[in-house]
Amino acid sequence: MFVGIDVGGTTTNAALVDGNKVVKTAIGPTDHQEILGSLLRTMDRLIEGVDVERIKRVVLSTTLITNLIAEGKADRVGLVLIPGPGVNPRDYRFKTTPVILEGAIDYRGREIAPLRDDQIKAAAQSLADQGYRKVAVVGKFCQRNHDHELHIREIFSKAAPAIEVEMGHRVSGQLNFPRRAATTMLTLATRDHYRRFAEQAKRAMRERGIKAPIYILKADGGTLPLERSLDKPVETIFSGPAASVMGVMALTPEGQTSVVIDIGGTTTDLALILSGKPLLSSKGAKIEDMLTHVRAFAVRSIGIGGDSVVRASNGEITVGPDRAGPAFALGGPEPTPTDALMVLGLTNLGDMALARKGVGIIAKALGCSTEDAARMIVDTVVDRIVDTVNMMFLEWEQEPAYRIWELLQRTKARPQNVVGVGGASPPLVPLVAKRLNAVAIIPEHAPVANAIGAAVARPTMTLSLRIDTERGMYTVEEDGTLGEAKGRNLSLEGAQEMARRLLRERAERFGIQDYADEAEVVDSEVFNMVRGWSTVGKLIDVRMEIPAGIIASWRGEHGS
Amino acid sequence: MAADVHERRGIAGIIDRRIEPPVRPARTSSARKTGLIFFPAFDWAISPTHPEREERLLYTRDQIFEEGLMDFPEIIEYRPRLAELKDVARVHFCVPDVQSQVTEAHLIAAGSTLVLADALMRGEIRNGFALVRPPGHHSMRVVHGNRGFCNINNEAIMVEYIRKKYGVRRIAIVDTDVHHGDGTQDIFWHDPDVLFISFHQDGRTLYPGSGFTSEMGGPLALGRTLNVPLPPGTTDEGILYVLENLVLPVLEEFDPQLVFNSAGQDNHYTDPLANMRFTAQGYARLNEMLAPDMAVLEGGYAIESALPYVNTGIIQAMAGLDYSNVREPDYVPGRFVLTSEMRRSIEATVNHLLTIWESRDDLVEKARQEHGRFYSRRKRIFYDTDMITEGQEETLRMCTDCPGYLTISTQAARGYGRLNTAFCVSVPLFACRNCIEDAREEYEEHKSETKYDYVYLQEKPSDKFRAYCTRTRNEIVL
Repeated sequence: MFVGIDVGGTTTNAALVDGNKVVKTAIGPTDHQEILGSLLRTMDRLIEGVDVERIKRVVLSTTLITNLIAEGKADRVGLVLIPGPGVNPRDYRFKTTPVILEGAIDYRGREIAPLRDDQIKAAAQSLADQGYRKVAVVGKFCQRNHDHELHIREIFSKAAPAIEVEMGHRVSGQLNFPRRAATTMLTLATRDHYRRFAEQAKRAMRERGIKAPIYILKADGGTLPLERSLDKPVETIFSGPAASVMGVMALTPEGQTSVVIDIGGTTTDLALILSGKPLLSSKGAKIEDMLTHVRAFAVRSIGIGGDSVVRASNGEITVGPDRAGPAFALGGPEPTPTDALMVLGLTNLGDMALARKGVGIIAKALGCSTEDAARMIVDTVVDRIVDTVNMMFLEWEQEPAYRIWELLQRTKARPQNVVGVGGASPPLVPLVAKRLNAVAIIPEHAPVANAIGAAVARPTMTLSLRIDTERGMYTVEEDGTLGEAKGRNLSLEGAQEMARRLLRERAERFGIQDYADEAEVVDSEVFNMVRGWSTVGKLIDVRMEIPAGIIASWRGEHGS
Repeated sequence: MAADVHERRGIAGIIDRRIEPPVRPARTSSARKTGLIFFPAFDWAISPTHPEREERLLYTRDQIFEEGLMDFPEIIEYRPRLAELKDVARVHFCVPDVQSQVTEAHLIAAGSTLVLADALMRGEIRNGFALVRPPGHHSMRVVHGNRGFCNINNEAIMVEYIRKKYGVRRIAIVDTDVHHGDGTQDIFWHDPDVLFISFHQDGRTLYPGSGFTSEMGGPLALGRTLNVPLPPGTTDEGILYVLENLVLPVLEEFDPQLVFNSAGQDNHYTDPLANMRFTAQGYARLNEMLAPDMAVLEGGYAIESALPYVNTGIIQAMAGLDYSNVREPDYVPGRFVLTSEMRRSIEATVNHLLTIWESRDDLVEKARQEHGRFYSRRKRIFYDTDMITEGQEETLRMCTDCPGYLTISTQAARGYGRLNTAFCVSVPLFACRNCIEDAREEYEEHKSETKYDYVYLQEKPSDKFRAYCTRTRNEIVL
């Protein structure tokens, strides 16, 4: 049996899955001051009367990191940059004023300007004097040569031993220096809090006799053993929407193109599954207003939901983005989309007389009947959602391409299904589906789809290998691994073999080796390096991936 | 450059009644963003070791992605698209047809400029940079094969697309590639509404061996082509001198609705195919001063030592970002000095060209008296990449009401093997009724001449492009 728990913005959902069946579900409120307590209270209700020995896997998805950052409770982090030539580092808008050091590495990992030890010592001293306990050290192209970052950490450990240093190349090896700096800072800012949470969560499970491994859900819909997630907690941000998407993958036929809609009280989250694959954000998640390297599903949030305030002015209806309380029908102060749905007989969540009274306020302002006002309110909500969905498909179609095949292969995609999850979706999803010419699906257990998704999500992993045969070295983007690559005549097949081996090793380190065989090569390229008129080497790029997916025991019997 | 965006006066004093859309050049547009298309064509090469190969923009990709330039709010990245065959036929006579002269890569490079052109004309962006390959500025009006790494001319395709779709008339192209932009020059040679200025390393020392001050446009467009041959070793200072003392003043007077930079990067001091001393800072400054509405990448083959830095600098300059921190690893300020001899030579060239520019209307008047109703010239063209030799006879009608229609008789040979012969008729976009009718007659008459394999009619006013094969008697209309 698997347990999935999603601690969301308003509710904490839990599901117990046995093979291909949802055995039990539970829903409780989320208390933002006490994430762990919210989680445990709902879990306790779920496992009441269940033989905990039979639980083989517990997967958690929480808003912990999101809350820490949004509420400004994350730790203060200093930033040291080695930007080298290029953009003026002051043009990057970081949350803190960075210390800029001399020194530079180029795109192939060659040192083009040396560090200056006196500058580094002065930086360490100054940051220590300012009371920093954590410092992110990030160099441009440091992922292709770690020497500068390692040397700076070395000097910091002597000059300012109280400061914890994290280096950019350990957090992400992807191209994009400012994103790497932001991601490194967020990693440091949330790590201690996250470790405490993980520790307490683990202890609480053991106290309940649950010996099963505990996993955490990441923003890319993959699971990771809890203890392996401690280094990079920021990857678990936005796991809530990812859980919903995984839930939809589990609860709908495989391989189809679907829009996932999660309509809540004040926001609606939208995500796309294209031919069975959840759409990832092309570059990395935006956290608050910081662009990062965190791999995440492309989720669009719009400020409109069942409890949004409806207003009428100059003959126009506006919905949201604020909430004044529950729906009028439930004793709230302002009319809401929920009231309009009640008037139209599409839902039955409160007092019909109150719902009519609420919508009546809008009708009066517009000079129309209560039914017409209700229709206009619902149309406004549906319009916003449909427009956003269309925009998401358009943006996907318009993503930049750098190769001929990328440009030629992408064709238009249209949704086959509109799948509603979360509490407020059922009455609206059929209306959205109709407008998009798609099938409306409200899966069984839709309110706890995210918990089910968490329970049955499998691990994900990527591995991006770059081999520079002229320099005789290779780098792995994901964790900044750097090593020697022998053989000038390495072929693409040889490189792919090497990538497969490195991925297996990496999977072992992360405790997910059982899934290493699921990895596929998603992209590979060979560039002949020609200097003068002769070939001096090759640059080979291989990208492998264990994509987001559902674990076999669920699919085993559900397979379409 | 105060642009009068409602310019309506035709060249022969005819008032053009067409309503032009409110074109706003980069300097005055309310749009804030710089549009960028980066299309490195990582899966296309002329041949595995050719300078125009997959690797060319690889390090540029690394640099601009690592800088995070695409994330700046001042920059918006667009997805390329394929140009249509018709977009190519609007400019070129491809022999035997467009399909046989282009690959998908060419259509994408050209199409990228069209995506940015649309974004510019819709007011979404204040300027644009098509960082694309393969390049195009050596492609001439007639295309039998690849010349100087180019098959079709990306800028020219963009110019004619914009003029047709948006009714823009006066455009300036400044070719900043180290090689003479002989293809672009050929295409706009007779066009008085397109100002073409190319500065480049002296043709006596570099491919394609042309681009002398004496090449100044066809008889009805004299002075609208200006060539600035520069001595090998010219530095930032020298090129910025040309910009300040020739290009900018001439642009101000010509008052174009749009300015394009045919942006080669091979003036760089490390370029393996040329001998100039230009730096990344110089390139950034040039683009800042020129403030083109659109820049399109041309050549530049110092793929490691120059391109990553030059492109970063150009993108920053176009987006109004601070480029002062961009420099090559081995560059130290003051490294290159313009000798006084070079300076004198550049000053003399600039002064000579200013005289030509100032007397352009007189030159046209003189040419009219000299040439009667038709003007003819013969040309030989060599296609270095494909080893093709072409002979052309070009005839322009010296029309008093419009730029005049043009015919080209062309024969191409590879070695001793005859390749193709063709007769091409081109009707300019702003042609008068007589020229349109006479050009159609020329086309019909030549269809029966068996000495030509193909006969073409490029009718820009109606946007119809006809290709006739004399053997199959088949006509294709694009």
